[in-house]
Amino acid sequence: MSGDEATTVSAADSPEKVQTAIESLSSIVPSLSITTPTSLLSNPEIYSHISSLLRRPNSGAGDNNLCRWLYDTFQSGVTELQLLVLRFLPVIAGVYLSRVADRKPQAGFEAVLLALYAHETTSRAGQAVSVTIPDLAQPSLYHDPKALTPNNNKNINSSTELNVAVVSPSLEPHGTVRSTRRARIVGVALELFYAKIPHMPVSSKIDFCEFCKLWAGQDGDMYKNLEEEEDNGEESVVFVDAEAELEEKEKGKVESRVPLPWELLEPVLRILGHCLLGQNKRDVELFEAASEACRCLFARSMHDVNAKAILPIRSLLRLSKTLVQNNNELDPTELPFTDVISL
Amino acid sequence: MESGKNERVTIREFCANGSCMEAKELEAKLDEGNIQEAESALREGLSLNFEEARALLGKLEYQRGNVEGALRVFDGIDLEAAIQRLQSSLSEKTPVKKGPTRSESPSSVSQHAATLVLEAIYLKAKSLQKLDKFTEAAKECKRVLDAVEKIFGQGIPDTQVDNKLQEIVSHAVELLPELWKQTGCYNEALSAYRNALLSQWNLDNDCCARIQMAFAVFMLYSGVEASPPSLAVQIDGSYVPKNNLEEAILLLMILLRKFSLGKINWDPSIMEHLTFALSACGQTSILAKQFEELAPGVYHRIDRWNFLALCNSGAGENESALNLLRMSLHKHERPDDLISLLLAAKICSEDPHHAAEGAGYAQRAINIAQGLDGHLKGVGLRMLGLCLGKQAKVSSSDFERSMLQSKALQSLEEAVRLEQNNYDLIFELAIQYAEHRNLTAALSCAKQFFDKTGGSKLKGWRLLALVLSAQKRFSEAEVVTDAALDETAKWEQGPLLRLKAKLKISQLRPMDAIEIYRYLLALVQAQRKSSGPLKLSSQVEDYTINEFEVWHGLANLYASLSHWKDAEICLQKARELKEYSAATIHTEGIMFDGRGEYQEALIGTFNAVLFEPNYVPSKILMASLILKMGFKASPVARSLLSDALRIEPTNRMAWYYLGLTHKADGRLVDAADCFQAASMLEESDPIENFSCML
Repeated sequence: MSGDEATTVSAADSPEKVQTAIESLSSIVPSLSITTPTSLLSNPEIYSHISSLLRRPNSGAGDNNLCRWLYDTFQSGVTELQLLVLRFLPVIAGVYLSRVADRKPQAGFEAVLLALYAHETTSRAGQAVSVTIPDLAQPSLYHDPKALTPNNNKNINSSTELNVAVVSPSLEPHGTVRSTRRARIVGVALELFYAKIPHMPVSSKIDFCEFCKLWAGQDGDMYKNLEEEEDNGEESVVFVDAEAELEEKEKGKVESRVPLPWELLEPVLRILGHCLLGQNKRDVELFEAASEACRCLFARSMHDVNAKAILPIRSLLRLSKTLVQNNNELDPTELPFTDVISL
Repeated sequence: MESGKNERVTIREFCANGSCMEAKELEAKLDEGNIQEAESALREGLSLNFEEARALLGKLEYQRGNVEGALRVFDGIDLEAAIQRLQSSLSEKTPVKKGPTRSESPSSVSQHAATLVLEAIYLKAKSLQKLDKFTEAAKECKRVLDAVEKIFGQGIPDTQVDNKLQEIVSHAVELLPELWKQTGCYNEALSAYRNALLSQWNLDNDCCARIQMAFAVFMLYSGVEASPPSLAVQIDGSYVPKNNLEEAILLLMILLRKFSLGKINWDPSIMEHLTFALSACGQTSILAKQFEELAPGVYHRIDRWNFLALCNSGAGENESALNLLRMSLHKHERPDDLISLLLAAKICSEDPHHAAEGAGYAQRAINIAQGLDGHLKGVGLRMLGLCLGKQAKVSSSDFERSMLQSKALQSLEEAVRLEQNNYDLIFELAIQYAEHRNLTAALSCAKQFFDKTGGSKLKGWRLLALVLSAQKRFSEAEVVTDAALDETAKWEQGPLLRLKAKLKISQLRPMDAIEIYRYLLALVQAQRKSSGPLKLSSQVEDYTINEFEVWHGLANLYASLSHWKDAEICLQKARELKEYSAATIHTEGIMFDGRGEYQEALIGTFNAVLFEPNYVPSKILMASLILKMGFKASPVARSLLSDALRIEPTNRMAWYYLGLTHKADGRLVDAADCFQAASMLEESDPIENFSCML
């Protein structure tokens, strides 16, 4: 893990820097009672308190002390502190993108986002991230083509070139957030968040899901019964009244509907996939928040008639529904129970 | 479920060495906490040794749901010593001469003992799991596998293995990674999965498939960045995945292949996981190929067509997608599928010759969008507006064109009322207004689009500048363009620089324009020499300016300044890049015209129109040359200009020369009308065509 950090600092420096971070944060937010490094890193109250500060109307300004603290703390190069700052990325990115249309100054948020972007650029040396799609006609670590060739197929021995897909394009250095690069910079920051997601607390992930709903700008409630509706067309008649209620409900909402180009949507989908399907001990609140975010994004992809987005989002919806249904499935690792116990 | 099963009235009994014994009495002793008494009774009743008795008692407790009791029983066994004895007994070579005297073969007896011990350890692991002590459970489970590896040093052979023993081994192999995951030890889970799949455990197809599926899901969603597989297991020429996504995709593809070969039952989640994996990295065309390999019958044919259409559309293969959608939307298939109707309409809206078909799909979508799907009515209206607007461009009559344009505007305006936040729709409405020359409304929409997207879309800047240029507010358009250049990375500045050059020309500052073209040329050439940053495929087209365009633009500019030598040099460069082009031939004609060589100019325009029958600039130039040369061929000129206006009804130069033609023929009223049209259009003419924005 230490190899991943381009700005690794020796262990001897860490306690001092952590202490410095604690002291400066205490001076910025006197009401926080931070006594030990452990409480800074793990206290959920501190997270929610700082999160609420970040949501205030002028929180993203260039002279905002909290933004400066986040920036300095991330630049410290201490792994624990960098992970701490990353926890707040959903809120920072969420508030930032939602306010873009308001033309409010957000230089403070931009400084933090640029720091994350620069960190990822350095650790990747600016290189693109690509994957080579396997071709089952060639042998692989896990299979021998001869054993898996369909009988009716002739074994084509021509060695076709493997497809290389660019998952994340090359990174160019950015000193400022240009409006046309905004989505890319935020997207890369989210990629960094995803790379560290096993270390992120549930509250951070839930915040992320909430902002996804906001960004989508679409109510996803009508997709709660996505698959069931396809089977029973008659059900839609029942919901006509429900739709009227939804319309009333929607008039009160002010949706922000953020642009979601692919370079931003792709890390969003990875994070949502993790929230829905990557948990060992399922957190009900997180699962519900992620499901709702997924439905809203699906509604958005439908409104955009975006085939490239419909496919993965619909799959996530179907898989998460399967997960709920499979809760009562038999454990395949259970030995069979017998009435006769014998040697 | 389990407690219900335990409550079932069951008469359990123990059987061993030819004797049987009811479990009831032993259960009573166990419930009293007398493990030793129960053990003694079992040993005497069935002639068992200590370990055998304990193992059976532990199993009884486990099946009764008393996992804590089971643990207490198992803890009484020195499993480590039992394993060691097991290994030593298996390694002994039994003398051959004693063979006939035994009722069973030595390996059979040893496997039997091994099964007993390993099952006890396994049940201990399961008991710990149910008590949420995952770390300890994992360690016990690993002991089973370690023991098996020692017993069968070269892996489990395909034959000679007791079914019961194989069952325990398979269960342990499957259980271990799950336990590590529940513990949060992801690296250990990773190793366990790979060991399960790469070592010789003799797993059956279903078990192997379950492990592969669980591993693929772990790789796809856990967020744990796995280290690549060790090089020790690498085979020459084999594909070895180097990251999570590659490994997950490989496993899912293998699972699909296994299903195709009939080795496993269908599990729809395989395809859903693969859909997520491949579409998340933008490879929907490969996804389509994987889907096509499935045998007919796995998916209903309509679902199959619709899925493939989405894949093709996602990969930019719109013609294939449209053909599939036509089949699925046929009246005898599933004509009311809303996703398919909207997708088909969208694809058709990008091609004028499919636009009428698309309008039909859009209208059907609008009719169907009710109830829960009511929120999509606005999308249908949007698609209808786009299709009608495109259809108008290939209309055969002015009346039809006007009607279609009006309907398109009406549809888009209605759509905006339903989708007020959809900025793409607002952009499209702006284009329609602009093409209608309603520049005030177009500017308002362009500003809305710009504000809602926060200036993040290059086309928003361009449209704003274009509309301002059409309003002859060139300095403001230039301010917008300069701001856009500040907000755009160098590789993507091409279209903006071209726009800026044309603004300079409109402001009668040709030398500035030449400088910009030279800079643009340097940028384009630098871009060509370096591969540039690797891009997502969807990003490439938006920003492309090719070198030919720049050379041709420069040639045109020099020609307009009567700098013939410079124009010729640039034209030659353009020809080197594209030998035959209506545009270059046309520019050559302009140069001949400028030098007074009308005959050669006329030949040039004629050739250009031969290359590209719809090339409007050459039709206009040909007509103007005919007029200038005093030919008695004004009907030909009129025909050319009418054709040009059919293609580009807002081309003011076409109107102007048509006016000249009418004047030459003595039709003064018609001429006046044409001049008036030309004059009005000149007041609202953009420096680039609005339709190039769509």
